[in-house]
Amino acid sequence: MKPLQTRAAARETAPPTPLISFRRIDLSYGDRRILEDINLDIGEGEFVSVVGPSGCGKTTLLRLIAGLARPTAGDVILDGQPVAAPSRKVAVVFQDYSKALLPWRTAAGNIALALSAMGVPKAEWPDRISALLATVGLAGDGDKLPRQMSGGMQQRLQIARCLAQEPRVLLMDEPFGALDAMTRQSLQDEVLRIASTRSVTVFFVTHELEEAIYLGDRVVGLYANPGRVAQCFDVGLAKPRDQLSTREDPHFLSLRHELFSFIKQA
Amino acid sequence: MARYETIDRLFWFAASLGFAAALLLIWEGAVHAGLVRPLFFPAPSRIWAALVHGVVDGSMLSDTVVTVSRTLGGWLAASLVGAALGALIGLSRRANAYLGSTLEALRPLPPASLVPIFVAVFGYSEQMVMAIIAFGALWPCLLSTVSGFRAVEPRLYEVARVLGMGRPSVLFRIALPSALPEIFAGMRVGLTVSLILVVVGEMLGSRPGLGLSILLAQRSFQSPDLFAGIAVLGLIGFLTATLLNAVESRLLFWR
Amino acid sequence: MALAAASGRRAPPRGAVVPLATIALLEVAAFLFLGREDYTFAAPHDIVLALGRALADGSLPAATAQTLSCVLAGLAVGFALGVMAGVALGLTPLLDRLTMVSVELLRPVPPAALIPLMLLIAGFGFQMETTIVAFTTLWPTLVLSRAAIRAVEPGLIEVARALEMGTLRRALAIVVPSALLRLFVAFRLTAGIALTVAVVVEVVANPRGLGYGMIVAAQTLHPETALAYLVWIGLLGWGLNALLSRIEARFLDRFR
Repeated sequence: MKPLQTRAAARETAPPTPLISFRRIDLSYGDRRILEDINLDIGEGEFVSVVGPSGCGKTTLLRLIAGLARPTAGDVILDGQPVAAPSRKVAVVFQDYSKALLPWRTAAGNIALALSAMGVPKAEWPDRISALLATVGLAGDGDKLPRQMSGGMQQRLQIARCLAQEPRVLLMDEPFGALDAMTRQSLQDEVLRIASTRSVTVFFVTHELEEAIYLGDRVVGLYANPGRVAQCFDVGLAKPRDQLSTREDPHFLSLRHELFSFIKQA
Repeated sequence: MARYETIDRLFWFAASLGFAAALLLIWEGAVHAGLVRPLFFPAPSRIWAALVHGVVDGSMLSDTVVTVSRTLGGWLAASLVGAALGALIGLSRRANAYLGSTLEALRPLPPASLVPIFVAVFGYSEQMVMAIIAFGALWPCLLSTVSGFRAVEPRLYEVARVLGMGRPSVLFRIALPSALPEIFAGMRVGLTVSLILVVVGEMLGSRPGLGLSILLAQRSFQSPDLFAGIAVLGLIGFLTATLLNAVESRLLFWR
Repeated sequence: MALAAASGRRAPPRGAVVPLATIALLEVAAFLFLGREDYTFAAPHDIVLALGRALADGSLPAATAQTLSCVLAGLAVGFALGVMAGVALGLTPLLDRLTMVSVELLRPVPPAALIPLMLLIAGFGFQMETTIVAFTTLWPTLVLSRAAIRAVEPGLIEVARALEMGTLRRALAIVVPSALLRLFVAFRLTAGIALTVAVVVEVVANPRGLGYGMIVAAQTLHPETALAYLVWIGLLGWGLNALLSRIEARFLDRFR
């Protein structure tokens, strides 16, 4: 227990000016308390994974950053400004990709939706779209409709649409929860690659402990009913990560052990 | 593969056409054998002759043109108004709260029961016929559009909010395409209703058209003409529905 | 619980605002603008009084009985034939393919077009109206029950095959029960159509029932009675639908 707390303590002093910070956030619906006294700072370019038992409000935290939900008390500060409404600086990858894509638009058309909302001149669209499709491994699939694509491809497309926003923050809500293991692993690596090449800040909600460690610079553990920040675990594993060697790293295994016992007691 | 399917479909279409022809032949035989009264069920050959005669002397053609244009005109106008009103109601949470239950309560009302009211207001006039058609076809489209707009996936609205899309953009790029299948469903019901009401209106208002023609054929016991008129009305229903289906599958290619 | 009750009191049923306001507005408009010689419209309270009179003197109940008897008889015949045909077509693809053109050509014939034909064959009365109602309800029932049969779990049909059941026993023991919910929905939808068509026939031609009563009231310059009939027909349609929806929800839950 001891080393954990020192790690968490070390973190609180680390980022000089955080990109995102939760300040004394409370949120309740009627009599039900969802979040209680959330204080959390996230640095620019950081990859934060959030885990916790069901009902701990992980998704609600994400929606607060996105501006899709408002706190009852406290502020979410993004880039020095309190979040009042959704902003294009923040992109959201939803879990239910099939509901988040426009079924009547092709892959290219779905990306074009974001480009047009961003006010990108039409002449630039074709190049931008093919570059984005290539980034997520969908080169040549631009003419496909969502229903003609597998779940993994649809989620890749949603990520590409989010990247079209050129966001500073990428919020991901259990994005790979519905995918099979192989697809999930390759998407994990792509997200890591994209996050590092674009130096985008990622807030990644998941219920998979190993996924949280494998991806994150830091793992935030939440308690449930109401949701509170329990502990922060610094990951400190070497980058780039590798599905085989990282997962066999003794440090990975001990972190997994700590997180697992945390979740069991939480 | 695709070619094989086409041939397969053509084969079964031909076979079922043959089946229909066989039914007509049996009917023809039954009339000649004296099994059915030709006054009630004239032989198909007599009906065909009446149809050809009507086409040649122009009466059937002009009746058809009048009836079809009334149906389509009333139906299109009603569909446009119904879809627009339905969109307004379905998109506004407030309009929904105030009008939702009233519209639900009006849904099971038979549109034809308003016919006498329209007759009282407009008399036996062309306006009466058009009002009946338009009003009858309005409801299915309106109700269906409302539920279509209400059922838009909330996730898509969130995507729109995150992208900072403006109101018109959300309406035309997200809400309208989402509601389109339901709008079409309402329009299809409206088309059926229009065809029923055009016949009702023509009969009641004595306005020239297929409805009046079959009524007059009945009064003069010209059953071949009567059947020819019914057949043309059925054909109009079939063709308009087929056309609407074709337009629908074009527009809703992504389903 | 307490919270729900409190919020229920706070928010009056907004759905009731529009109908009540409409009635009040009509009442005011009738008071202000309706002269004695208006034979088209009537004030809401006059309509309610006329409804009461028509109910009390027995004319409305009699007309209702006439209309409903045609609706129920026509529905019974049309639905029974439609389900039989739909089950047959749903179970035997060959028959379905062979009858495709015939069904698709007969189905879109507007029921109003059959009024002259049935007048010719049967004259005025119960029989012509019932026949038209039956013809009209037959086709949607056929289409809906054919779809219901096709939606039956193929595994169940396999089981029936494995048990070496004959086609008829298969239909009765496996297919119809598992399609029951969809068949019931089909019945509710066609019941609404049946009422509409019965009223159409009465308005256009048949001198009996609610539709005719309405036409007579309008033509004898009693708009309040005609509108009372309209309200009554509306209540009937609404009640029929509500009744069937309720039965559907309550008794068919276990088939879902």
